[in-house]
Amino acid sequence: MIKNHPPTQFLADYSAGALSLAPAISVTTHLQFCDQCREAVSGLNALGGELLNDCEGIEISSSLLAETLDRLDAPMESAATSPSAQGDTTALIDSDLANELPDYLHKFVGRSTLNWRSLSSSVSVAPITVGESDYELALHRIEAGGKTPVHDHQGTEVTVVLKGTFSDEQGMYHEGDFLIREAGDVHQPIAAQNESCVCLSVLSAPIKLTGIKQVLNPFMRFNPS
Amino acid sequence: MKKDSGPDWNTLLVRVGSHQDKAAFGALFSHFAPLLKGFLLKGGGVEPEQAEELVQETMIKVWRKAPSYAPAQAAASTWMYTIARNTRIDWLRKHSKKNQQTDELVAEDLFDENEESSPFTALIQTRNAGNIKAHLAELPQEQLQVLTLMYFQGKSGQEVADELSIPLGTVKSRVRLALQKLKLKLSPTGEDQQVVYAQ
Repeated sequence: MIKNHPPTQFLADYSAGALSLAPAISVTTHLQFCDQCREAVSGLNALGGELLNDCEGIEISSSLLAETLDRLDAPMESAATSPSAQGDTTALIDSDLANELPDYLHKFVGRSTLNWRSLSSSVSVAPITVGESDYELALHRIEAGGKTPVHDHQGTEVTVVLKGTFSDEQGMYHEGDFLIREAGDVHQPIAAQNESCVCLSVLSAPIKLTGIKQVLNPFMRFNPS
Repeated sequence: MKKDSGPDWNTLLVRVGSHQDKAAFGALFSHFAPLLKGFLLKGGGVEPEQAEELVQETMIKVWRKAPSYAPAQAAASTWMYTIARNTRIDWLRKHSKKNQQTDELVAEDLFDENEESSPFTALIQTRNAGNIKAHLAELPQEQLQVLTLMYFQGKSGQEVADELSIPLGTVKSRVRLALQKLKLKLSPTGEDQQVVYAQ
């Protein structure tokens, strides 16, 4: 049972097309698990459709329909879908990991080879390149029973649990849970004892470790490019 | 049980997908292209001649993607809205100085339009469409203003708050009140989730 969802405004921003790539990906990922939010988004999109319906139409050039019809039979432009998202990209993901990710994420994760880096003995991170500069998108893996270093955030962090469970001071989180940490929150996620936990995370700014930041901070920073 | 007179856009769109019916496409075009142009121009940041370019791009995508259109999942106007939104996102990203990488995802990749619909999807969709039509005109001006800024301009709640010089909390509550009035589902999580996590 999913207890943590994107707030309504986050879903509205998503439907309006106002979210940057990585946060939008985090919402769509949550929707893979959550019918309730899927229903909310479908209502928000219908609102967009009705606003379009209600819009005052503006006359278009008389030749535009003919020009458009001429272009319909032209060969498909590759711009419709990015090449990397079209082909079979799953080959680039190892099969164990592929089984742990919703199909939707394969096209992003499979764009390039994942480069896992250890943050501590039980936590590793692999950045996912999506071509944006404002946010860092990554997979985090916490080994069974492992603790992440205590850290706080300079910016907002979104986490979607993809596989397994983890807990922190505020509760326990399961597959599909969507969490937002604001700047200044300090927490220490711990994976369940019996299985590792994989999460998708979106960071708006590098996180710093509390106390021993000068030692570990360089490892926490990863660049999306 | 259609309240509107005139063509059934959903059926025409299905015909475009199943028969590559250019007459049906022409009818959709004549109706939606001016609406799309109005929609895009209301957003600002797009010049009239660019607006027609974007309208054309949107309608070409409509033609190509029509075979995947499922009327049980979304009304034609909703489906067109999402395609126009994605076209605008890509256009704005292409013209933004911040993102200069060439191998970029397109907006269509971000959203997930290929979900199988459940038996409930059609019911929910019909109910939502009816409620929105019935109550949109009743929304107070201040709520409608926030929604139109968001949807026409692709602005986030924060950007709308900045533009109107009102607190983000006010924007959020206007959106929430509007959705309640339209009987649309809110997120199961309370709006100010972050408060729970403070400290």
